[in-house]
Amino acid sequence: MYDFEYHKPKSLDDAAATLSQHEDFKLLAGGMSLLPALKLRLARYSGLVDLGALGQLRGIRREGDEIVIGAMTPHAEVADSAAVARAIPALAALAGGIGDPLVRNRGTLGGSIANADPAADYPAGVLGLGATVVTTRRTIAADKFFIGMFETVLEPREIITEVRFPIVEAAAYSKFRQPASRFALVGVFVARTRGGVRVAVTGAAPSVFRFKEAEEALTKQFDSTALDAITIAAAGLNSDIHASAEYRAHCVMVMTKRAVAKAANVPSPCNERGRVRQGATMSVNINTPSPGSSAGERGSTYR
Amino acid sequence: MSININTPSPAISGGGLGRGRIGQPVLRKEDLRLITGAGCFSDDVNLPGQAYAIMVRAPHAHARIVSIDTAQALAAPGIIAVLTGRDMLADGMKPIPHRPFSPHPADMPLENTDGTPIFTAPHYPLAPDKVRHVGEAVAMVIAESVAAAKDGAELVEVDYELLPVIANTAAAASPTAPRLFDQARSNVCLDGVMGDAEATAAAFARAAHVVRFETKIPRVTGVPMEPRAAVGAYDPAIGHYTLHAGTSGAWRTKADLVIMLGVGDDDVRVITNDVGGHFGTRGMLYGEFALVIWGARRIGRPVKWTCERNEAFATDYQGRDLVVEAELALDADGNFLAMRGSNISNAGGHTTNFSPLRKGVEIMSSIYRIPAAHFRARGVVSNTAPTRPYRSSGRPEVLYVMERLIDLAAREHGFDRIELRRRNLPTEAEMPYTNPFGMIYDSGAYHRVMEKALGLGDWAGFPARRAEARARGKCRGIGVANYVDTASGVPRERAEMTVHRDGTVDVIIGTVSTGQGHETSFAQLVTEWLGVPFDNVRILTGDTEFVKFGGGTHSGRGLRLASIVIWGASQQIIEKGKRIAALLLECESGAVEFRDGAFVRPGRGRTVSLTEVARAAHELPDVPDDLRGPLAAISDETITTAQFPYGCQVVEVEIDPELGSLEIVRYSAVDDVGRAVNPAIIHGQVHGGIAQGVGQALMEHCYYDPETGQLLSGSFMDYAMPRADNFPFFNTEYVETPSPTHPLGMRPAGEGGTAPALGVMINSIVDALSEFGVRHVEMPATPERIWRAIREARGGAQSMCDRNTPEVMLR
Amino acid sequence: MPTVSMTVNGKRVSAEVEGRTLLVELLREHLGLTGTHVGCDTTQCGCCTVHLNGTGVKSCTVLAASCEGATITTIEGLATEGKLHPMQEAFREHHALQCGFCTPGMIMSAVDIVRRKGNDLDERTIREQLEGNICRCTGYHNIVIAIQSGAAAMKQSRPSGAPPG
Repeated sequence: MYDFEYHKPKSLDDAAATLSQHEDFKLLAGGMSLLPALKLRLARYSGLVDLGALGQLRGIRREGDEIVIGAMTPHAEVADSAAVARAIPALAALAGGIGDPLVRNRGTLGGSIANADPAADYPAGVLGLGATVVTTRRTIAADKFFIGMFETVLEPREIITEVRFPIVEAAAYSKFRQPASRFALVGVFVARTRGGVRVAVTGAAPSVFRFKEAEEALTKQFDSTALDAITIAAAGLNSDIHASAEYRAHCVMVMTKRAVAKAANVPSPCNERGRVRQGATMSVNINTPSPGSSAGERGSTYR
Repeated sequence: MSININTPSPAISGGGLGRGRIGQPVLRKEDLRLITGAGCFSDDVNLPGQAYAIMVRAPHAHARIVSIDTAQALAAPGIIAVLTGRDMLADGMKPIPHRPFSPHPADMPLENTDGTPIFTAPHYPLAPDKVRHVGEAVAMVIAESVAAAKDGAELVEVDYELLPVIANTAAAASPTAPRLFDQARSNVCLDGVMGDAEATAAAFARAAHVVRFETKIPRVTGVPMEPRAAVGAYDPAIGHYTLHAGTSGAWRTKADLVIMLGVGDDDVRVITNDVGGHFGTRGMLYGEFALVIWGARRIGRPVKWTCERNEAFATDYQGRDLVVEAELALDADGNFLAMRGSNISNAGGHTTNFSPLRKGVEIMSSIYRIPAAHFRARGVVSNTAPTRPYRSSGRPEVLYVMERLIDLAAREHGFDRIELRRRNLPTEAEMPYTNPFGMIYDSGAYHRVMEKALGLGDWAGFPARRAEARARGKCRGIGVANYVDTASGVPRERAEMTVHRDGTVDVIIGTVSTGQGHETSFAQLVTEWLGVPFDNVRILTGDTEFVKFGGGTHSGRGLRLASIVIWGASQQIIEKGKRIAALLLECESGAVEFRDGAFVRPGRGRTVSLTEVARAAHELPDVPDDLRGPLAAISDETITTAQFPYGCQVVEVEIDPELGSLEIVRYSAVDDVGRAVNPAIIHGQVHGGIAQGVGQALMEHCYYDPETGQLLSGSFMDYAMPRADNFPFFNTEYVETPSPTHPLGMRPAGEGGTAPALGVMINSIVDALSEFGVRHVEMPATPERIWRAIREARGGAQSMCDRNTPEVMLR
Repeated sequence: MPTVSMTVNGKRVSAEVEGRTLLVELLREHLGLTGTHVGCDTTQCGCCTVHLNGTGVKSCTVLAASCEGATITTIEGLATEGKLHPMQEAFREHHALQCGFCTPGMIMSAVDIVRRKGNDLDERTIREQLEGNICRCTGYHNIVIAIQSGAAAMKQSRPSGAPPG
């Protein structure tokens, strides 16, 4: 790691002020992606602003038809939350499959979506549910939030405070793991909402994206057979040593169907994880640090 | 010959008489420190005043070093020294003394067909002129802290002239491939043959069936969980170097450092404490070991270097990487007549070791009766990390080829897979069996072991399980694979045993435990043979201050050779003890017997304990000079015979045909260990070996970009490590058929888990996919490969060649 | 350099650290607690697992400075009053370690599994929950058995079922 100044503000205002005074300071949430990137010297900041002392950013509550989760809430808390499990079981299941248990103890919702790793799980949940990201400056619709690989609309001095997830009629997340990192090789979040079906795909492309053709078909008929006539083009999808774009395209269809089947049939929280497989499915899964989970970004650090 | 079936039993933790004798799953002595955090691994060593080294590593796979500018780095805060290959040569450092083969008389010779010597070239710790793989060190930065050293390393400016890259094994053998070594005619360093060409051709000419198989066994790496680390010190007053490092044998490392530094035998001390895994890839000296002690001399302070995992992926010795073309000839009844083919082994960027090539080709026929065989064997260099023997060196690759050939023969020519194996396994009456390359398999109940494994895996009940799986939409397959493993390696080992006056026994030995539990199993031998309480035995290893020779730990030679020299030393102790006891018992030494840890004069009832004898050796005034205390013995033996552990595995997998994902649902293994010393340790070795073999079969892969030679699997993010959820519980058993070529009947157990795992995994996968007509799936059998295999077999597009995972079918 | 104070294995400690100093570096290099190991640089192997305020974390991915006022338990602090923790006992009893390098992290992670999932653990749960810990020696077989056994033993030794630290 390059050295940096460490700040741990006691209030959100302090945090915002520190950020505004130093252009290249970076926010530190759970650190599960940022610190590994710093350790490998893939990133450099002159200061880190640790949000760990801001208790008001941590917590889960239900407000009307929404589940509101503080940005600094660790994945494990979301996974274990009875409120989330009752209202949006698919979200609890997704959180319970991020990274590994030790990463989930530390990694946070805000950190995950701000990092916007193209293979992370939370972006699929946020986009799939059509959640609203609340920051110190504004509220941002999920559809506007993710704009590219590791890229969001967040401005340099903007801090995510919470994410508001609408409670939907049915939802499910199906993930197919990359065998090494155990990030999503392909993860699909399907949500049936009053406004129609939303399908968000992570791991397959440079950024999380909505699978519009599937959404239209599923809005007409919320059944995996509705997808039989649909395919997704491999062009534009990620291709790396773990999976070709062509295979990822295939997996997107399979995982979408499985998510639909799960959402349609299983109203309660379900963790369908079977045991022992390579390239396991259904196992809401993994997230670890990783700058760049797609081809070309990985590999030897000696380049 | 009797077979005793042992099933796992709970470990014995209590005290009591006879605890710790041979055959007991006694708790390990080393565990108390390891479970409390009190172990001492290499990075746990810190010396007063130490500085920290970081290596500047090549970002290119093949390049000439035009110049290295260290000025900026030297000016950075905290930098003490920046040393380059030029400095290293100026100080007279010699290359790493790699040996192309581990010499053992039981192994078959492999030489160039044209009579020229095998090509080897110097491999220096810092590349002086040219880099031949990504990550090769070109300079060492020493600083006051790791962070400062890293900052400094970024400021070292290396000007490279890029050269054409060759990373693909088969392509590297081409005469037109870019050459790694200017002084060589090509990248082929070794091109020889083994077997009988004429007899093989004749057998093929009369064969009823011939089955052909081409494959690439991919490059993997050992990934011991403890990354390498080294702390070096130099005492200018006496010109003495000390290295603390995890090695597979302190003495061998010392001997190599003496050569590299050009100093006297007593001028270097190597200390190895706890070692966090070895698996073969830790089996040779690493350049950094020499660099830290040299650096310590240069700066006048101890120097510490700790490898990071990303460096380990790029610069640890790697394993496997073999391209095979093979054919098997059968008669109409399914009797194997002959096999032939060609193997190309990839040594990587330096001529480090061709042992896996030889150890593979000499056992190409595996455990089966094959009258004739002929193989060409080539060793090439390429712009990849150097390779060396990795768990069961060379064998898992070729055993996999044989097991695939058998399954292919069965399928293509209408034989039953099991019957074909039964028909061609040598019987006990045929033992010892000489294979077509000249290897002499000592003994073995091959049939009984296979039948036992088939029973353990409930082969007969499989159809019902397959039907049940199908109802769930899963394709279930079953596979079987036999193995035989040649345990050879460095043939010499030495034990020095001392019985102290308090009754404790110290054994100094030249192996190093890297997880195998030597402190425990070796102590069990002493307890058995000298009747000393288990807790009173100490096994001392890993410090050349007292280890005067040692072959190290590899090739299943730890317990196998230790048992011989510990036996020898024990017998000497008993003989000396009898003479001393005779003085105490006032009789002729010929009248003294040694029973249950005490010397007795039969019929007289008087006994003296080993402790009393040890004390008497010091204290009795009339002890002859040659017996005067301490009561000690040295056994130094060179064992020219090899042992041949063997066994059989049966595996069931379930495949999700939609995604190609896979679950291992049943894993059974039977190994013949000759004589079991600690059953718990044996089962543990098999479990771990299986996981390593399965890892290679399913997910592990050192993936080099064929164009650039960049390692694209350079961290745990991209190099898939088997985890707990990849496995079911294993069903392992062993049998004990004493090896006639080992004085105590032992056969090693450390490699048997891995040796058949590649073959059994792919056989079970292909069986699961048999309904689609899939003929083969290359390793690693990733979900995508399985999915493609199904799709292609169903008549989809594309060839068997997997376009996304190049280097698969190479020619 | 900032000074950070915390309680490690029941002892108050403070140390001067850089902003970039990791918790594992503080433990190993400043405090000499070398039982916590570093096996990777991508937060995956779990060799560095410790308990931070009672919760399992990978200490290679936590800044020391962020642990101001925290309570840390490492493998060295798991045994109490000279008596091994039941999970340590179970690892020894079931030969759940070979080289022992991943073992401290495995044991600390195992105790955290019990905190989260209780004392009655089935094989599948244990295998899933071990996702953040890599072992190269054992094939995990005996580790799974040890954790099952150790979890049950923790219940007996602590009627509340609450693991320490």
